[in-house]
Amino acid sequence: MRFYETIYIVDPNLENLVLEKVMTEIGQELEKTGSKLINHRAWGKKRLAYQIDKQKYGTYILMQFEEGDQEKMVGFSTWMKLNNSVIRHMTVTLDSKPEVHVEETKKTESAKPEVKEKEPEAHVEETKKTESAKPEVKEQKSGSEIASSDSSNKKKEEGVLKDKNKVNEKKDQKTDKVMLEGVE
Amino acid sequence: MAFQNRNKFCYFKENGIHDIDYKDVKLLRRFINDQGKIMPRRITGTSAKMHRKLVKAIKRSRSIALLPYVERGVE
Repeated sequence: MRFYETIYIVDPNLENLVLEKVMTEIGQELEKTGSKLINHRAWGKKRLAYQIDKQKYGTYILMQFEEGDQEKMVGFSTWMKLNNSVIRHMTVTLDSKPEVHVEETKKTESAKPEVKEKEPEAHVEETKKTESAKPEVKEQKSGSEIASSDSSNKKKEEGVLKDKNKVNEKKDQKTDKVMLEGVE
Repeated sequence: MAFQNRNKFCYFKENGIHDIDYKDVKLLRRFINDQGKIMPRRITGTSAKMHRKLVKAIKRSRSIALLPYVERGVE
């Protein structure tokens, strides 16, 4: 058996209830051809790459199904063309069974909360680690700080002494000059 | 700019992609010009097999308005 995928664009301004009605109507029309619906979901509202019937946006709806009567399928596509609520549609053959898509969506939905549950635990562990790690770092830091402060103080003292010496030397030179001037 | 490397390689073979979905617009956009034209194999470096699939996918997505036929005309 072959599997097909029909994608169709619906007016984006339709309300949810009306949209559901349109979807069920199309689904029923498809099932008249003897094909089995596997997926029928709204893909979402998207901006159209070019305007169709003066519309800039459209809600895309995906429909995946197993092949029914091929002759009736031609009738279905003409019915879709005549349907006023459908802006554009396209059917494409699928290489493999489309059941995988449904499972994926379910998995993602079920997987999300699990991940959320796991995340806080990990955070707690991380925080614990950081808490346990921080004091050690602090101790190390404090030790190094003291050492650095000591060294810096020494340096400062040395610098001050040097400055003082320089000042003294300058004073001496000045006094010498004054003395010389006085002598003259 | 990614296509201007001297060492050309098939993007799909490199990433282990065997089937191209026409709904994957983000992927298809890589192989489209500013004007919306399909880039030649000579420049993109895709293998002949995958280029055939790529062209099919782009044309499909054009027909349901996911990609433009013409984007930004030549000035």
